[in-house]
Amino acid sequence: MRKKGWFTGMASLILVMGVLAGCSGGGNNGSNGDGSNAGSEASPSAGAPAASGDPVKLTMWGGVPPEAGPQAVVDAWNKEHPDIQVEYVRYVNDDEGNLKLDTAMMTGQDVDLFVNYTSSQATKRVEAGLALDLGTFGDYNIDEKMGPDAKGWQINGKYYGLPTTKSAYFVALNKDALDAAGLPVPKDWTWDELREYAKQLKAGGGYGFIQNLEPFVDPIDSVLTKDGYTKADGTSNLDHPLVKKWLETLNAMMEEDKSTPPLGEQLTSKMPVEQEFLSGKVPMLNIGAWLLRSSNNFTDFPRDFKIAFAPVPRLTDNADEYVARGGIGDYISINAKSKNQAAAWEFLKWYADGGMAPMAAGGRLPASKDADQDAALNSLLGDKADTYDKESMMYVLFDNRTPTFVRSLDQEVVDLRSQEYEKYFLGAQSVDETLAAMVARHNEYLKQTK
Amino acid sequence: MTNNWMRRQRLLGYLFIGPSMLGVLLFFLIPAAYSFGLMFTNYKFMSPNVEFVGLDNIIRLLKDEMFYLSLKNTFYFLLAVPVSIVLGFLAAVVLNQKIYLKKLLRGLYFMPYITSGVAVAFVWMLLFHPTQGPINGLLRSIGIDDPPGWLSTTTSSMVAIDIIWIWFMLGYNMIIYLAALQEVSPELLEAAKMDGARPGQILRKIIWPLVSPTTFLLLITGLIMTIKTFGIIQAVTQGGPGNSTTILSLYVYQNAFRYYDMGYASTISWALFILILLITLAQWVGQKRWVHY
Repeated sequence: MRKKGWFTGMASLILVMGVLAGCSGGGNNGSNGDGSNAGSEASPSAGAPAASGDPVKLTMWGGVPPEAGPQAVVDAWNKEHPDIQVEYVRYVNDDEGNLKLDTAMMTGQDVDLFVNYTSSQATKRVEAGLALDLGTFGDYNIDEKMGPDAKGWQINGKYYGLPTTKSAYFVALNKDALDAAGLPVPKDWTWDELREYAKQLKAGGGYGFIQNLEPFVDPIDSVLTKDGYTKADGTSNLDHPLVKKWLETLNAMMEEDKSTPPLGEQLTSKMPVEQEFLSGKVPMLNIGAWLLRSSNNFTDFPRDFKIAFAPVPRLTDNADEYVARGGIGDYISINAKSKNQAAAWEFLKWYADGGMAPMAAGGRLPASKDADQDAALNSLLGDKADTYDKESMMYVLFDNRTPTFVRSLDQEVVDLRSQEYEKYFLGAQSVDETLAAMVARHNEYLKQTK
Repeated sequence: MTNNWMRRQRLLGYLFIGPSMLGVLLFFLIPAAYSFGLMFTNYKFMSPNVEFVGLDNIIRLLKDEMFYLSLKNTFYFLLAVPVSIVLGFLAAVVLNQKIYLKKLLRGLYFMPYITSGVAVAFVWMLLFHPTQGPINGLLRSIGIDDPPGWLSTTTSSMVAIDIIWIWFMLGYNMIIYLAALQEVSPELLEAAKMDGARPGQILRKIIWPLVSPTTFLLLITGLIMTIKTFGIIQAVTQGGPGNSTTILSLYVYQNAFRYYDMGYASTISWALFILILLITLAQWVGQKRWVHY
C-alpha cells in the first residue's frame, strides 16, 4: 500500500517534469521555426555543400524590412545557388530588436550573418566573441574594395565585418521652394548660413527646417570625433565651444526665429518628418539616404516638387577642419559560432560586390568599387529620376570629398547627452548649466568604466 | 494505520503544490537569487569578463544622481494611486444609485483597464499634443491662453503621465468598490438618515469607513502595481523629455536592456524591491488606525 503510493507519486512527479522539460524544449524550437531543424541537419555538410546533397541553409539577420530590398537580394541568390539557401530574418533596429539578435546569438540559435548599424554595437559583439575576423579568409581586400572610409570600422585593427553600403547623410531641399526664394543649392555651408536659409524659407506659420532625430546630434559628434571626446587630461570635452554654439544656434532657431519645431513638440508628437518634408510643408530636412525609401513612394507620399541635396552644414568656420558623418555603413559580420562560415563568406562577398543592388531602392548604394554603380543608381531612382536634382544628388552621394566619421560613442554617453540637451531646448536649464551637467555626468561615466 | 494515512495525506499535499512550486522555483526564486548574486559583479550581457566587485554597485547606486531622480519621479508617479482610489470610490457611489445608463457607464469606466497599453499611450499622446491636441484646444477655447505643454515640457510631463495612469486605474477601482458597496447594509444608511445625517456626512462617516478594508486592498495592490509599471511610460515618453519621467522600473530596464549592465540593473531592482517592501510594511502598521473590519 505504502509502496504503491510512493511509486505513483514519483511517477507523477517525473511525468510533470518531463512535460515541463518538453515545453521548454518545444519553446526553443518553436521560436526558430523550421530553421533550426533544417540547420542542424545541414550542419555536418558544412564547407562542402554539395557533398551530401542537402543544401546549406544560412540565416541572415538585418534591420531593413524584407520588402525594401533584402528579399529580392536573397531570392536572386537562392535561384543561382541551389546548394546554399539564404533566409532573411528582420530584426527591428532598436533596443528590443538588438537584444533579440544578441540573445539569439548568445543562446546559439542559427544566425550565420548579421548586420551591425553602429560601431559600438559591433564592438560589443566582437568582445563577446560573436563576430569572425574576416581577415582569416584572406581572399578579399577590404581596404582596396571599400576605400579609405572602411578604416573607421576596424575594431582593434581588424575587420570583424564588411561595411557594405555608402551611407550618405544630407539636408534634403525642396528645389522649387529654394528657386522661388532665389536661394542656390549649397555645396558647403555653415549652421549660420542654414539658419538664414530657414528664416527666409519659412512660409506663413510653417517651419523652414526640420530634422530627423537620428542625425540630429551629428554636428556635435563631428566636432568631437575630430577634437576628441575627452581632453588631454582625460576629462570630458563635452563643453567644447562648438557644442555650445550648436546648442545656441538650434535654440535660437526654435525660440527666436521659430524656423524649426521646438524639440519638446517634435518629441511628444513623434513628428513624421519625412511626411512633413515630402508633402511640401517644410522645405529643408536633415536626414540620411533612407529618405529615398519614402521619396520614391508616390502612393503614400505624393509630391509635386524636385528634391535637391546639400551636405550637412558644419559648425566650424574652417572648412578644412570639418568631418562629416557618413562614409560607409551596414557592417555585416559572420557569426563566429556559425557552422557554415565558408558558405556565409561566399554569400557576403557576392552581396558586397553587387548582389545587394536591389537594396538601392531603399537608399542603400553599394560601397564596393566592383559593384555596378549605374545599375544601383537606376534601382535607386527607378522611374522617379526626374523628380530629383541630379547634379546635387551626384555631388552628395559620390563626389563630395569631405572626410567622414562613423559614430562610435557608448550608448550611455549618447543618452546622458541627449537628456541634458533636451532639458536645455525645453527651457528647463541654461546653456551653461547644460554643458556643466553633461561634463559632470560624462566624467562620472568615464570614472565608472575606467 | 493513522500514521500511514497521515503520511499519504501529506504526500498528496506536496504532490498538489508540486507543479506550482516548481514554477515558482524556476521562474522566480532561482532568478531572484541569481540577480542577488549579480549585484556583486560587474556582469554585462555578452561581455566575457565577469568580476566580483564586492559592494561597488551599491556604492555607485548611493552616489548616482539618476537613481535619486528616478526615486523622486517614482514618488510623483505613485501619487496617482490615492487619487484614482478616491475618484473610483466616488464613481462607484454615483453608479450605485438609481441613474440612467448605469450599466453602460460602468462598462465605459472599465474600458481603459482592458485596453492595450500601447493603444492607450498613442491615444493620449494625440490628446496631449501641445498645439493641435484636443485638450489644449478645449483649454484655449475656455480662455486659457497659455495651456500647459503636458508631455512636451520637463515640468508637466509627470503630471500628464499621472493623469493617464489615474484614468487607467479608475475603472478597476470602481468595480471593486461597487462590489464593496453591495455589502453596506441599507439599515445603517436608513438609520443615519432618520437621525438627520446629510448625504455628505453619510458618505464620509458611514460608507467610507465601512469600505475601508477595500480601500486598504486597493491601496496596497495599486501601489505595488504602479511601482512596477514601466510599459506605459516606455510607450509614451521613454523616460523623457530630458529625464523627467524616468521612474525606477524604467531605469532598471534601461540599464539592463539598453546598456546591458546586468550587475547594476540588479542592484537597482533590489533597491526597488526594498522600496516596495517598506511601503507595504508601513501600510500594514498604519492600517490599524484607519481600517475597520
